[in-house]
Amino acid sequence: MTDQIAQESTDPGVITEILEKNPELHGIGNYEYGWSDKNDAGANARRGVNEEVVRNISELKSEPQWMLDMRLKGLKYFDRKPMPTWGADLSGIDFDNIKYFVRSTEKQATSWEDLPEDIKNTYDKLGIPEAEKQRLVSGVAAQYESEVVYHQLREDLEKQGVIFLDTDTALKEHEDIFKEYFGTIIPVGDNKFASLNTATWSGGSFVYVPKGVHVEIPLQAYFRINTENMGQFERTLIIADEDSYVHYIEGCTAPIYSSDSLHSAVVEIIVKKGARVRYTTIQNWSNNVYNLVTKRAVCEEGATMEWVDGNIGSKVTMKYPAVYLVGEHATGETLSIAFAGEGQHQDTGSKMVHIAPNTNSKIVSKSVARNGGRAAYRGLVQVREGAKGAKNSVECDALLVDQISRSDTYPYIDVREDDVTMGHEATVSRVSEEQLFYLMSRGMTEEEAMGMIVRGFVEPIARELPMEYAMELNRLIELQMEGSVG
Amino acid sequence: MTDTATHVSGEKARIGAPSIAGFTEEGENLSPMNAAASPIGGDAVKAHSHGGGAGVPDSSRAGRLTSYKLEDFAPLTGREEDFRFTPLKRMGGLHKNALTGAAPVLVMTGAKAVALETVAMSDARVGSAGVPEDRISANAWNSAAEAKIVTIPAESIGEQVTLTYTGDSTEAAAAHLVVIAEENSESVVVIDHVGTAVLAQNIEFDVREGAKLTVISLQAWEDTAIHAASHLAKVRKDGHFKHIAVTYGGDLVRLTPSAHFAGEGGEVELFGLYFADAGQHLEHRLFVDHATPHCTSNVLYKGALQGKDAHTVWVGDVLIRKEAPGTNSYEANRNLVLTEGARADSVPNLEIETGLIDGAGHASTTGRFDDEHLFYLMSRGIDEKTARRLVVRGFLNEIVQQIRVPEIEERLNETIERELAATGN
Repeated sequence: MTDQIAQESTDPGVITEILEKNPELHGIGNYEYGWSDKNDAGANARRGVNEEVVRNISELKSEPQWMLDMRLKGLKYFDRKPMPTWGADLSGIDFDNIKYFVRSTEKQATSWEDLPEDIKNTYDKLGIPEAEKQRLVSGVAAQYESEVVYHQLREDLEKQGVIFLDTDTALKEHEDIFKEYFGTIIPVGDNKFASLNTATWSGGSFVYVPKGVHVEIPLQAYFRINTENMGQFERTLIIADEDSYVHYIEGCTAPIYSSDSLHSAVVEIIVKKGARVRYTTIQNWSNNVYNLVTKRAVCEEGATMEWVDGNIGSKVTMKYPAVYLVGEHATGETLSIAFAGEGQHQDTGSKMVHIAPNTNSKIVSKSVARNGGRAAYRGLVQVREGAKGAKNSVECDALLVDQISRSDTYPYIDVREDDVTMGHEATVSRVSEEQLFYLMSRGMTEEEAMGMIVRGFVEPIARELPMEYAMELNRLIELQMEGSVG
Repeated sequence: MTDTATHVSGEKARIGAPSIAGFTEEGENLSPMNAAASPIGGDAVKAHSHGGGAGVPDSSRAGRLTSYKLEDFAPLTGREEDFRFTPLKRMGGLHKNALTGAAPVLVMTGAKAVALETVAMSDARVGSAGVPEDRISANAWNSAAEAKIVTIPAESIGEQVTLTYTGDSTEAAAAHLVVIAEENSESVVVIDHVGTAVLAQNIEFDVREGAKLTVISLQAWEDTAIHAASHLAKVRKDGHFKHIAVTYGGDLVRLTPSAHFAGEGGEVELFGLYFADAGQHLEHRLFVDHATPHCTSNVLYKGALQGKDAHTVWVGDVLIRKEAPGTNSYEANRNLVLTEGARADSVPNLEIETGLIDGAGHASTTGRFDDEHLFYLMSRGIDEKTARRLVVRGFLNEIVQQIRVPEIEERLNETIERELAATGN
């Protein structure tokens, strides 16, 4: 695997040096996307964050004054807010050693041919051109470092009035609608990492679906971090107008680097009356990334929000997609799946807040911990006064495949209304000798058998994914389970 | 660059203004009891002495501080995970003041061979089964003037004693009790709390090898009582500890049963029943610490709530350490909310550090009347009022029947009837 990395890298000297300095990286050989490109842009970016850096970002982007004001306010809250003392160990983050803005190419490309060669190579390895060529996706916003470099939306969607842009361009071209919604779901001072994002955000996706429009095929965006010590602070804003439907897919892969990277995104989604939004993430950051993300949606009357959240990579992930059910008969759903391997801590879950009457929510969480990894479900279900007839169910299943891994469940339930139905249930099980023996007696190797048991365990979630994603997930599970036995 | 912060136009104030009810620019506050941190999202903590410090997780139960010394525990702010739901203002100073008031009088009845002694806190048996796990417990430990020790002799079968605490003081007081169930004994200990008091109390249960101890702790105070109790149990090899908490009296009751396994083959059952009326705060925080192999634990708490600002909190921590392969554990909490304005918090936490377990799980439900049950009963000619009573009685009966002391079961059923009659349910 080490050889493979060196071969695929355009700068094998750097990789060798990294591996020499960090012998533990040899163990992360499972990570397939661990090549890295030559990096001219990142080398020059500044480290640390302060008012000057924030003003600089805003100026480079020629932003309106109100956005600069908002960024500065975010910086103020970021400085003031303490680090969270619950959840994962975040002591390894050094905010002063992170590059907050990296510009990788001067202008946006409109087709694959226009992309610089090394960037194109990176995406080729991720299989994006195929997806695009086959028009399997409605539009591809490929985020290379901080700015979206490639963007295309199918013409018929454009005709219907669907806006699918990178967030920076959207601010320029649709400032009014942007101003109306930006920061209204996740306020500027919501938490330390959302504040940092507000101060330094760059890139991300902006989606607006007009009234009654159904986007039949998923909108898709890939994100990559390619600069050592680079923070990725993308900002995504999705507005689904009344009775519309959209499925947005976010996929993440990042190459391996020697020191820790920070990814701190903010995703705000507004689901208007009768609309439905599904947001799918398969996060596969390399195992040195701190992935601290705030995702929140608001559902108006009769609206539905679905989070499909897969966490496979990263060193630490703290992510709890939330749905605020503010309109009657609104529905929120989260399907969450987490894999924690060696050195990984996946602290994930979901949050459902019932504010209006007759709202429904459901959380299904599956986690697998192996090889010393730690997987935790942490969730909150709150029923506020007046949310009569609210219904919720939470199901958590955890699978432990060895004796050194760890699984935790922290479900918070807060009910302030009498007319509600709430349920939480969790089971933790281990792969039994009998299951393994049975499959092995049918001619499977132990590794294959283990892989099959795990795939069966996550199947209820995998089947909710689009086909190519389900296949990717299965491949990732295989990679994760490699070397898990014996 | 011009200074932009001086003029605020109408539009500017609107940009980025939170659109969700209950939000400020700094997110939402999820800990309404105290101006406190939220468990998830929006870390609404104002910067304090730990601000900006390293992100050391304090959510794991394994890392929670235990100490006999009060000074080891920082003064409470209400933001602590452990006190997030507890209204400190109503604690009667139990968490911060010296506890010098007169403790409720303890009387033992029904004993055959069981001994009750009064000893100094320096007695070697004090501290044999537990260490304080929060500040109130440490405060009580340091304030208690003396300790009561109840010893159930080895090999004795069928002892049933009642220990009644009767209080009539509103001054903050401390009490300490040690119950020792000697080797292979089998006994039932009823601990009853009546009258009124402002009491911080520690009770240790030393369940020796092969002993079977059933404890029924009744918090049957008058409406004014404030009671914080730590029940610390040590369950040794093949010991069996059954603990039933029944709480319906008092203005504020915070009971923290904590069971630690100290030998293989132990079994712990923690049952609880609580009934909260308007204005009452009834909190139960459990901890089952699986630190030895092949032990079993089962937890079931059921609660009913009625009336404005009736508040119950149930937090169940189960920790299965690396050293505890072959563990079997289950815990559940079920709440029945009878009227509007009541609030039930329920948090079943499960931490597992080894894959070599037999099984582990937890469940929590909160709901109102099962309309189907009600409909069924009414279709059989039972009027709605009676049907509702039957549903609540049936719901709570699962715990009541665990008591197996007829006079207490009867008393409890009467209490439940009285509570239900009070609001016309």
